[in-house]
Amino acid sequence: MGRARLGDGRRWGRRAVVVVLATVALAGRAAAHSGSLGGSVASATVPTWLTILTGGIVVGGSFLFTTLLTDHEAMRGVNWWRLGLLAPGRLGQVLVPLLRLGAFGVLLLVLATGFAGPQTPTRNFALLLVWVGWWAGYTATTYLVGSTWSALNPWLAPVTLLRRVGERVPSLGRAVGSRSVPDRWGVWPAVAGLLALVFLEVVSPVGQDPQLLAAVVLGYSLVTVAGAVVVGEAWFERVDPVSRVFAAYGRVAPLQRGEDGGLSIRLPATALTEDPLADRAGEVAFVVALLWVTTYDGLVATPTWARAITPLVELGVPALLVYAVVLLAGFGAFFAVYRLAAGKVRDTADTYVTTRAIERWFAPALLPIAAGYHLAHFLGYFLGLAPALAAVATSPLAPPATTLALVLPGWFGTVKLICVLGGHVLAIWVAHSLAFELFPGVLAAIRSQYPSVVVMVFYTMSSLWVITQPYAPPPYV
Amino acid sequence: MSDSAPAFRPARDTAVPDGETPAATCPHCECPFRSEHARDLHVGEHHDPSEAERARYEAALERERDDLWLFHAKAVIVLGVTYAATVILYMAVLGSFF
Repeated sequence: MGRARLGDGRRWGRRAVVVVLATVALAGRAAAHSGSLGGSVASATVPTWLTILTGGIVVGGSFLFTTLLTDHEAMRGVNWWRLGLLAPGRLGQVLVPLLRLGAFGVLLLVLATGFAGPQTPTRNFALLLVWVGWWAGYTATTYLVGSTWSALNPWLAPVTLLRRVGERVPSLGRAVGSRSVPDRWGVWPAVAGLLALVFLEVVSPVGQDPQLLAAVVLGYSLVTVAGAVVVGEAWFERVDPVSRVFAAYGRVAPLQRGEDGGLSIRLPATALTEDPLADRAGEVAFVVALLWVTTYDGLVATPTWARAITPLVELGVPALLVYAVVLLAGFGAFFAVYRLAAGKVRDTADTYVTTRAIERWFAPALLPIAAGYHLAHFLGYFLGLAPALAAVATSPLAPPATTLALVLPGWFGTVKLICVLGGHVLAIWVAHSLAFELFPGVLAAIRSQYPSVVVMVFYTMSSLWVITQPYAPPPYV
Repeated sequence: MSDSAPAFRPARDTAVPDGETPAATCPHCECPFRSEHARDLHVGEHHDPSEAERARYEAALERERDDLWLFHAKAVIVLGVTYAATVILYMAVLGSFF
């Protein structure tokens, strides 16, 4: 059976490559038309609105293209294809504790260099590591390669230590696992935590001030370690937004862990067609929040935002309030649009499947969009500052006096557009596959996608609009 | 290969609005459907159909095939028109058409 399945997989794998190439060619062509307008280079002849419209057309076109692929067994062949790698076994058991300990050491180094290191941002190890190395670079590896956070989470080493100590010291032991997060909260604490973290990142100088960053990291570490000791595993599953973000992005990645703990390579995003989200409150909201926060991060750095907020603040409205209201309202709007679309799917597919089940079923399709947008947003930032990070990392405590920054060529704008469009094209495929799993026959599955496609075109066009705007520092913060 | 398909539980994931009687119900899993056509397809795809059920499934598939041909014809036309319209739009905007 295993052999036959692998053979089948190979056959469908080849077809998948053709399909992917065809869609990429479609996306690539449109992006090439519009490429230079996004970046700072040359041709002002193709206006931004046309770039954005082209993005919408590419996503709509890819949907029409996928409707031509209706062989359910063939789709499963593509989606379930996997290449087994060696099971981690004993090596993992030895390696993981070492990695966790190493990560904890890096955390301590971040705190030390943040508080006591040189305060020039491009020479400070803590700032470069957290923002360039971790939030931009490491996050990208979680969806491009695989989620390694459960091995690298720096808070697990102290949590394990405190739990061990708790077994010996009764006063501490009483606190271990003494509380639980109410079930009806689901993962809403993580949703709130994610929105709060992004708000803090946008409105405070935590991106430029090493001491403030170290203080935030210290505070976050204390809360996380205390929470994980008191609540247990549920903390990282339902409360800690950082672990949730990496777990969610990890589901897009080609490297996946099977139930037996073995590693396998899959085609990107196909693992999303297998597990719907857990049936818990807030699961869908978290995916939508992940999509929204990167958009928000880009939005507040556009000249349009600066123009919109200036008169409001001059009228006397506190700037922080405007930032907070837009963060929450934008999340609400993205969520409402998604729920509305799920309700419409119920009509277009002519089904008794509940709106709630539809929301859960199709939410994984939003993850490649979030990943594509994250890459578009952070890739340039990462590449630009990676040389500085590498130079400072060689001697964190006594960094070189000057560091280099990479200047990206003009065509880089095109790369960003391709990232956004690539995420959307994968999302169309995932949603198409999930529809075939949920609705009987072919036509109901295709018709069920009309509302989702409208929503995806809306998401693409809004992210492309943000991406094509020139950078303007967020005012008043 | 059904081991990898996402889990669907009719009792949890479907609901019939008050005052509505489903047009058809799956005899194997009680899943309600708005049409017999959808039910026949579902039985053939997800369960081990009896002989009568298999005949109905094949009839339903035949109807799907006809409808799908029409749908694909429309999809290909829309794709072609969209592609042509996009090219013409670019020519117009870049100033080499009008």
